[in-house]
Amino acid sequence: MSSITPEEFVHTAKKFIELSDKFFDSWSFHQNDNDILKTYVKKEEFVNHRDEGEKVFLYRAEYIIFYNLSYGVPSFSFNIWNSSGTLLTLEEVRQMSLMKISKEDFYSVITQQEHPVMHRPYFIIHPCNTEKILLYFKHTTKNLIVTFLGLITPLIQLNLPLEYGL
Amino acid sequence: MANDREVLREIWDGKLPICFQLHQEDLMDIQQPDPFYVMVPRLSYFPLVTDKMKRHFLRYISQESADNEMWLDYNGQPLKWHYPIGFLYDLYCGHDPQLPWTLTVHFTKFPENILLHCPNKDIVEAHYMSTVKEADVLKHRGQVMSTMQKKDHNQLWLGLQNDKFDQFWAINRRLMESHGDNEGFKYIPLRIYSDEGICSQRLISPKNNDGSRKVIQQLLSELYPNKPDVKLRTHGILIPSDTPLQWLSEHMSYPDNFLHICLC
Repeated sequence: MSSITPEEFVHTAKKFIELSDKFFDSWSFHQNDNDILKTYVKKEEFVNHRDEGEKVFLYRAEYIIFYNLSYGVPSFSFNIWNSSGTLLTLEEVRQMSLMKISKEDFYSVITQQEHPVMHRPYFIIHPCNTEKILLYFKHTTKNLIVTFLGLITPLIQLNLPLEYGL
Repeated sequence: MANDREVLREIWDGKLPICFQLHQEDLMDIQQPDPFYVMVPRLSYFPLVTDKMKRHFLRYISQESADNEMWLDYNGQPLKWHYPIGFLYDLYCGHDPQLPWTLTVHFTKFPENILLHCPNKDIVEAHYMSTVKEADVLKHRGQVMSTMQKKDHNQLWLGLQNDKFDQFWAINRRLMESHGDNEGFKYIPLRIYSDEGICSQRLISPKNNDGSRKVIQQLLSELYPNKPDVKLRTHGILIPSDTPLQWLSEHMSYPDNFLHICLC
């Protein structure tokens, strides 16, 4: 089994926040003392995106990494709003992606769901393949969340400082 | 194994009478539309049973709103389409039953901070399949779903969508089998919701530490040690406290393979 326990997740998350602070990235740690499963790390930022007509748009993005209890893995979730405060659709997110991915592939990896920790709609990357990936990296990586984020970056624009040593 | 077929059938046949009314703000006609009455399966989802209702109200609303995403509320509370209808009724009307259940239909001001978008039925199917998959991860480490073929997955979905009990259970019975030497699932796919519809995730084993089968009473004292009087409701009934969890999961789960239970 390559899943991790909630305690391992919290430990990894704390170490990840230390790295984030060190490299002046802005991830923050959120802990609920009554319920370890409600622990998560979060980052909010503004994103510039240049469309095909070279026009630049400003968005606000929120990323949350939480512990998925059923699968026993970290899960990545996010929302992106445009400058008038409307949530982007999955199709708009796909068009912002750094990779050219077909609708079918993209939609099979990311769906809008009720967030198990935040209890509101978020886009969540499906956890079913995460376990396999973690099995591969679990014993070699310095920090599992850094590795995990590195794998997501092609799908979602994330500004990851190179210092994390991806 | 889900052997009590009569119980499965009874749960499957559960229906609710619903009265849909158009929200006054969306009305663009001098004539008031009649309310729309329909009998719907408790196990289904609203986007699967509201096509006719939507057509009924379309001619009373403005052209611009007609392409908007429709949504429903009960008493000002937006209804989450990704939960089964019967569960939503138990959540909001369980302690004070009202029939028919009167709901308000909206074509404007979609509350996107509360509801998931549902542009078409493919979204419902994707949501349904991923929930079944998650339940199988809890029960059998995902081994049953991953050994099934695409056509089996389709049969589950079509059985639910078309209200075909035999078609659905021909496949679903495989998801209800226990594997290995020990009778029972690894964990019970179970969601218990408070009044506000908030559910906390927990891993629940069908057995006690001594290997005996766990019953509802034991689950309650484990989860709510300070609340001796709590009760659980699902499919419109209070669950007897001596019900074994394994039996409950096999027989009273919704088609998404989760038990959706209201705390009361």
